[in-house]
Amino acid sequence: MTTIKKKSYPIAIIFLISLGIFVGLQFFNEPLKGESVTKPIEAPREVISILENSCFNCHSNQQNLNWYDKIAPISWAVNKDVKRAKEVLNFSEWNYSAGEHQGKMYAILNMMQSGKMPLPEYTILHPSAKITPKDVEVIRKYTLSLSSISSNKKVEKEISKSVETKKSNDTPVSPNGVKYTDDYKNWKVISMSTLFDHSLRVIYGNDIAVKAIENEDFHPWPDGSVVVKSVWKQEKLADGEIRAGEFVNAQFMVKDSKKYTDTEGWGFAKFSGNDLHPTGKTESFARESCIACHHQLAEKTGYLFDVPMKLNTEKLLKTLQK
Amino acid sequence: MKKIFILISIATLFMACESSENEKDLQRIVFDAGDLKFISTSMNTTQGTSSALYGNQKALTSLQEEKSLPLKGSILKLVTWKYHDNPQYIGGTITGELLSIETLESDKNGNINYQLKDDSKTKYNSVNKDNRIKYIMSYKPVTRP
Repeated sequence: MTTIKKKSYPIAIIFLISLGIFVGLQFFNEPLKGESVTKPIEAPREVISILENSCFNCHSNQQNLNWYDKIAPISWAVNKDVKRAKEVLNFSEWNYSAGEHQGKMYAILNMMQSGKMPLPEYTILHPSAKITPKDVEVIRKYTLSLSSISSNKKVEKEISKSVETKKSNDTPVSPNGVKYTDDYKNWKVISMSTLFDHSLRVIYGNDIAVKAIENEDFHPWPDGSVVVKSVWKQEKLADGEIRAGEFVNAQFMVKDSKKYTDTEGWGFAKFSGNDLHPTGKTESFARESCIACHHQLAEKTGYLFDVPMKLNTEKLLKTLQK
Repeated sequence: MKKIFILISIATLFMACESSENEKDLQRIVFDAGDLKFISTSMNTTQGTSSALYGNQKALTSLQEEKSLPLKGSILKLVTWKYHDNPQYIGGTITGELLSIETLESDKNGNINYQLKDDSKTKYNSVNKDNRIKYIMSYKPVTRP
């Protein structure tokens, strides 16, 4: 009898201490601030229904959290995730043009299709938020249907912008310090691409970046790598061939692991129109608008889209270059 | 029967080795245009190809001035790739296999030379030189501020 009593003491003490700590933690549990819905996303009912079920808990001002999400320490992680999620995408503050809406929907489709969103660690605790192949198909159909609606409007907007502006003598600088340079016009073309917005893109890399591509040195890319994507509107010739039309923007990615610590070491910049006006109001703009997609969808190639595909041989290149 | 089975197995094994060997040779390549600079680009959705046109200063001037033949001393290279749906992003395409390199030169006396190099699987084998020269000279340099 005495032995049993002696053994149960420490267990009881550990239990009481744990309970005390757990209760104590709740004093440091700050609930999420309720924010109002200023401009909700507009889309067909079946699309909204999927977004509400799988995305709204983090990406909106309408959280419908479970009781265990509100208890510390789980609540700490949940609150942090919600804050970060709303920085990137907030369905309750959908202040976007038709073109931007289309872009966001493509990002959502890509995230869902690749299984990156909703986060797998979220669906473990919230299985009802899982996305089914049928859901992805609904999102895909809706997203693809947006192409023709938004493209014309976007073209009008871009034309009016380019007419107004001219390149000045000052070197444009992005809010995060990335400077525009004409040097890229002398660099090697690493690939060519298109996007749903009817644009034509040529991607250039400096010598460090080209070497990194050839050696598949992506994890991490060496500091000093710079990749520039030059974007034009597509111009269709009478025979159907597509050429580069009006210049839209030049997008820079500059690798500096010490400077750009919160965007995987990449400094993002976008210089648009003939005056090359930089995108972003604050230094952290890329944290909100660029890195989320690059991080989730292009991890394999060191957070860079449009890295040349692994489809050629050195032998073929040599033969053709002879 | 048993012998046939063994032979087929060995043959399959060799074929498998060959295919994995080919895959091992595949690389991410970047075309080196040497001293030539990127001038223009195009996309042919019927053929599923995308091209980059490179050239020297004389070539650039020829195209800027919309000449029907390159000026003396011009060198132009049209590099054509097959494109694919972007594996990393739905809604985008990206260049894949290198298909051909066409070179158009005009020497110091104005003699025009056109040359095509391809992997011999493409349809350009029976190419009409004059048409290709006309086609290459139809490019306008891209606009970049």
